[in-house]
Amino acid sequence: MIALIARMDHHASLGTTPWHRAGALGKLLLAAGVIGLAVASPSLVLLACIHGLAWLLVATSGLPGRVVVAAASYPLVFVAMVVASRWDGTAATPLLLVLRPLTCSLTAVWLVGTTPYPDLFAPLSRVLPRNVGDGLFLTYRALFALLARTDHLRQALRLRGGASGSARRRLALAGEGLGTLVVHGFERSQRLYSAMRLRGHSGRICGCRHFARRSGADLWVGMAALALVTAGVLLWSAP
Amino acid sequence: MSHLHLPDGVVPVWLWAPALLLVLVLLALSNRSATPQTVAYQGALGGLMLAAMAIPLGPLDYHLTLAGPVGILLGAAGAFPVVFVASAILAFLGHGGLTSVGLNTLMLGGAAAVSRGAFFLLVRRLGPAWAMALASAAGQVVAALLWIGIVGITLGLAPRTAALTKAAPRLELLAGLALVLWIVGTLIESVVAFGIGRFLARVHPALLPALAAAPAEEAA
Repeated sequence: MIALIARMDHHASLGTTPWHRAGALGKLLLAAGVIGLAVASPSLVLLACIHGLAWLLVATSGLPGRVVVAAASYPLVFVAMVVASRWDGTAATPLLLVLRPLTCSLTAVWLVGTTPYPDLFAPLSRVLPRNVGDGLFLTYRALFALLARTDHLRQALRLRGGASGSARRRLALAGEGLGTLVVHGFERSQRLYSAMRLRGHSGRICGCRHFARRSGADLWVGMAALALVTAGVLLWSAP
Repeated sequence: MSHLHLPDGVVPVWLWAPALLLVLVLLALSNRSATPQTVAYQGALGGLMLAAMAIPLGPLDYHLTLAGPVGILLGAAGAFPVVFVASAILAFLGHGGLTSVGLNTLMLGGAAAVSRGAFFLLVRRLGPAWAMALASAAGQVVAALLWIGIVGITLGLAPRTAALTKAAPRLELLAGLALVLWIVGTLIESVVAFGIGRFLARVHPALLPALAAAPAEEAA
């Protein structure tokens, strides 16, 4: 799952579809609307329409099929559990239970796959408490460096015999390896803090203002939002 | 199992919405004690949590959470934002729903807080490695209890006793599977936490809260 982040981040930065050119704020609002309506929808017909819209968004985002399937299908494991426990002999209940999470995960994949993380986190960091907003940026940044180190660590453990012996020994050695990453993370954070102070850190990472930039591609987001609202109004009372 | 993988649209609104609100209040409170320096350290440990989740531990996508060690190293107020950020980033990938971020945070944050308290109780008697292992296990127990409660409510066990008659065998099977996974997962988390504690006590005892003021030789 974590390996997906790198692939989606790469695609979000290098993609050339209109969704990639559209502003992050509009996309965030659209995604919130799709997820909100999917979760709240009492109508299966409305939910099916929203689900179709989510597929349309993803299909036109240029994301590789494998990435979409891997990210979007994750909720299905848990949903299978819920469907089994709530089986009432009708097709409507399982459909509702499957379409809701699938629509939401597809929308999240579309959003993350078409929006570079600084643009995605910048508006969120403005509404979240300072430590959380900054934490989003710093965690995401630290993740890629630590992923590479984790890979190196696994290779080193394997080459030096850390992958042999009892499970208890192997796991304790893996824990010691993670301990080196804790120390590395601590030292890295000290250096990062020093660099932030040297560069005039004001006490808050606000991110760039690209997220609020408008372009012609926002029209597509507006049209999708219009389709969502229309479907919501017309089909709310449908079966 | 300590990590809740509830997707969107499954958890009832009256459960996830107050949880999200409570989490936002707790995050605002934790912000009071945060300095840019601690936020940088929290970011590093948040990255470590996510990187550790990339290590596969067998089928069903089971992975480490490191909620216990992160809670011990940062304390409840420090670990809470880390857990929230990790849960939010995972949710953006469809790994748990965006609406269940609050519940995830409460569960893992609860595990982190309990681990910190248990570590302080145990470290003088057992040493940092064993204390970290047992404290992580205690955190896992709390997370599992919260998980069972949330999943039980989500699956509608209480109000659907009549319908349960038909579904009970399936649910027993699922509960049995979840229990086995939890036991295995708790053992793995505890042994890994033991390794982290042993390494930090030898190499950088100042990072361990109860040992920070103690002489390095006592920690070793």
